[in-house]
Amino acid sequence: MDFSWSVIWDAMPALLAGARLTIYITVVGLLGGLVLGAVAGLFRAFGPAILNAIAFAYVELIRGTPIVVQVMFIYFALPVLAQIRIDPLTAAILAIIINAGAYIAEIVRGALLSVDKGLREAGLALGLPFWKVLVFVIGPIAFRRIIPPLGNQFIVSLKDTSLFIVIGVGELTRQGQEIMAANFRAVEIWTAVAIIYLIMTGTLSFALRVLEKRMRIL
Amino acid sequence: MIEFRKVTKRFGANVILDEVDLDIEAGEKVVLIGPSGSGKSTLLRCINALETIQGGDLLVDGMSVRGGRSEVRTIRQEAGMVFQQFNLFPQLTALQNVAFGPRRVRGTPKREALEQARELLAKVGLANRADHYPGELSGGQQQRVAIARALAVRPKVMLFDEPTSALDPELRQEVLQVMQALAEGGMTMIVVTHEIAFARMVGTRLIFMEKGKIAVDGPPAELIDNPANPRLREFLQHVH
Repeated sequence: MDFSWSVIWDAMPALLAGARLTIYITVVGLLGGLVLGAVAGLFRAFGPAILNAIAFAYVELIRGTPIVVQVMFIYFALPVLAQIRIDPLTAAILAIIINAGAYIAEIVRGALLSVDKGLREAGLALGLPFWKVLVFVIGPIAFRRIIPPLGNQFIVSLKDTSLFIVIGVGELTRQGQEIMAANFRAVEIWTAVAIIYLIMTGTLSFALRVLEKRMRIL
Repeated sequence: MIEFRKVTKRFGANVILDEVDLDIEAGEKVVLIGPSGSGKSTLLRCINALETIQGGDLLVDGMSVRGGRSEVRTIRQEAGMVFQQFNLFPQLTALQNVAFGPRRVRGTPKREALEQARELLAKVGLANRADHYPGELSGGQQQRVAIARALAVRPKVMLFDEPTSALDPELRQEVLQVMQALAEGGMTMIVVTHEIAFARMVGTRLIFMEKGKIAVDGPPAELIDNPANPRLREFLQHVH
């Protein structure tokens, strides 16, 4: 077979546009997922019974279903159920927020609970209210422990955006699929797509490793 | 200043403290000894409400540990605690650990809190370790920082929960010396320990606990030299 560089060259603008959309969905989705996950994880670790139960149900529901089903539900079922129209991009971002949020909640919960109980007692014994112990003692220590597993989740979520091909969002995988359908150059296109993903995940890994090095894990 | 009124503490069906009555006046240096499981650490931890009590009442400086949250926080500010495992905040330097209480509890401005912290570290002999993290200090040094951290909130009473039990023998002395200096300075102290020599030299009162009750309560020298209670005599033989 002959590997044609010009095929890749011609496809590049469309693929890079797809990559841009992939990054956009990932960044916005993960920012939302971080907020949702932090809140849900906090409820799981220290929340009152009702909030803890709600967070638990959310985590189990999301972890127990495939992300493709989740995004299909948001895009196709939600409009029927709630009479709201959602465009594919919004559905994709929502899916990442909800999905990553559940996994991040577990990461946050684990990190919060891994902080030695003695440190909590030391903070309380000084006369601090619990929320201040959380902010000044448990939080800063847990934050450092969150970084490595969080990096893993970021990479997983970035790759999960490729599944949104099913609702027609023009992210990287979808772009590759469309180009390939027109020119049938599977080898060139999927090689290029794979390498672009590798560059994105590699950059993410590198950035997280730098952050990890700069913070002492306690 | 500390009054136990029929204090009962249970973990499930286990009775840890069984209707304990006890009065401790300001200036006393009370040493609590007893076999493990006798309730001595629990008794100490009830004073600053790290353990909740199920029966009776416990007053610290007139405030009840069964009062509201803010009452409990005030009690904790008046009763500094030193833990067996030091429990220094690992993300903060020695100096920041000592300044932590004043800054976060009392709202003292940073510069003032750090200045005070420096003085307190000097007092416990660690002026030259101010910028070290807990992980870079020996156990004895960590425990001295922990004592300074508790003192920084200006407590009226200091609670020591087996402060030297996690230390190698050669590191115990430096911690005991700091505690002795504190006692000589007039601080009210309640110390759970196995250091009988310390109890005899520094304590003004020795309490021997057994099965959730105060079995013996009296002057340390007398009780240690001539224990009338057979269980205390046996216990002292094991500790020595």
